Amino acid sequence: MIPECKRIRENILKISNKSGHGHIPTCFSVVEVLYALYSIIKCDPKDPLYKNRDIFVLSKGHAALALYCILAQFGYFDIKKVYSLGSFMSDFGCHADRFKVPGIEVSTGSLGHGIGVATGMALALRIQKSQRHVYTLIGDGEANEGAVWEAIMVASDLRLSNLTVIYDNNRSHPRGLQIQKPVEIFKGFGCDVAEVPGHDIAVLQQEFKKRADTVRVVVANSKKGFGCKTFIDNQYEWHRKSPTDNELEILMRELDEKAV
Amino acid sequence: MRKQFKKTVMDLALKNDKIVLIFGDVSVYLFKDFSEKYPDRFYNMGICENTLVSVGAGVSSRGLIPFIHTIAPFITERSFEQIKLDMCYNNFGGNIVSCGASFDYAWDGATHHCYTDLAILRTLPNIEVIQPGSCKELDVLLRSQYDNGKPTYFRLSDHPHNIDMEVEFGKGVVLKDAGADITVVTAGPLLGNVWEACSDLPVNVLYFHTIKPVDKELIQRYKDTKIMVFHDAFGLYEAICELGELSVSRYGIPDEFCSWYGTLAEIREKIGIDVKSIRDVVKRSTKKRS
Repeated sequence: MIPECKRIRENILKISNKSGHGHIPTCFSVVEVLYALYSIIKCDPKDPLYKNRDIFVLSKGHAALALYCILAQFGYFDIKKVYSLGSFMSDFGCHADRFKVPGIEVSTGSLGHGIGVATGMALALRIQKSQRHVYTLIGDGEANEGAVWEAIMVASDLRLSNLTVIYDNNRSHPRGLQIQKPVEIFKGFGCDVAEVPGHDIAVLQQEFKKRADTVRVVVANSKKGFGCKTFIDNQYEWHRKSPTDNELEILMRELDEKAV
Repeated sequence: MRKQFKKTVMDLALKNDKIVLIFGDVSVYLFKDFSEKYPDRFYNMGICENTLVSVGAGVSSRGLIPFIHTIAPFITERSFEQIKLDMCYNNFGGNIVSCGASFDYAWDGATHHCYTDLAILRTLPNIEVIQPGSCKELDVLLRSQYDNGKPTYFRLSDHPHNIDMEVEFGKGVVLKDAGADITVVTAGPLLGNVWEACSDLPVNVLYFHTIKPVDKELIQRYKDTKIMVFHDAFGLYEAICELGELSVSRYGIPDEFCSWYGTLAEIREKIGIDVKSIRDVVKRSTKKRS
């Protein structure tokens, strides 16, 4: 784990401890994916709406806390603001609001919506003959939703080469139904598919830069709770649980150990 | 009315290159001219109504103007959450244009009937809900509202009324002010039946093509009369009742599935909104009051 991603995970833990909110294991599985993405996409943290930016849509809306910590890391806003997570007047909800948080393109939360909106964005950019690229992150649990597959079908039929769908394959199937053989399924829908380790930043960066003549799907094989043994061993318990002060100490120590 | 939809959109597209049509496997042949003239702005996306709406929201987010068009129950009831979140909550504007609402597909049965669309959509913040009753109304309202940056619902009908009047978005129409203490109210194509049933009776007649925002000022003017709402859908009655302290009664959709087939006229007769039934009910009320 690189120091930047360790710091992001520390922030996730500390903010969850202080606020009592956040889906930590879900957030931990996508830290490297989001870090790799923001390190290569065209964006300007000082001017979040700059007109030639690439677009990222967090379809897997429960990972909002991870995205906030990434955006803070890249300079969109001060991480201190995120400590108000989920409180009444906070700009930082447990699901992100595009009118409140710089860098958020679509307000998401209910699963299976962001990927369809991202598909429409990519279509519009193609009509406008724009070179901008659209990325969206979906989860394997989210892929239980039928709307995900409608969107994949449409994106593939339209051959949207300016759309990359990142599939966080963190095996959250104990909570939902398991999607068997996602690589083969996406291929079956006509997508250009790559399968990569979900916590290898160099490989992820390389994959996110690649283009095809149709929609690309990057299946990122990640671990739910990656970085802390406690989460890996107790996925059910920690799905939506915030650490106490004592638990925080233990989890921070686990982060210092070699990543599990 | 679908032909008018095409005619108006063809005309608008001449001046506005931001228009993008997203269709769910209906009216595709009808819009052949459009798809040939503007191939990069016409998409038949097949049978996936949830995604039609999400894609429309995404298209809108980049500054284009989507027209999302398919059959009423599927685009409104099935895709309610996509309209609520992707369009209204995100405030990505655009036009949802349905066909086949109420009992336009009478013969297809209850799976294809749709009379809750106006009522459920009007509960959503940021949206406008329009039920044009004639081709002229559709043309006027489409031109005035299609590019307003808001989610806007247009409900087309295969059975428009033939009463000519001037219309303006958000404004109800007084078709008859008899100074009566009974006011008959309706919306959309059903006006044809209502007018035939009531035009010579001693009642006031009000007509609405805009369900949201409903013309509250007009309703207020008749607040001291007995208001009788005849409608082949939910939505108008509820909008009127929200004004409070009114005497309002509703005639139309029963609390049971309309599990008959046949024609629109037959179903209207069965649920009591054919000309004769409307006339009988209104006449009885006028007698009671006198």
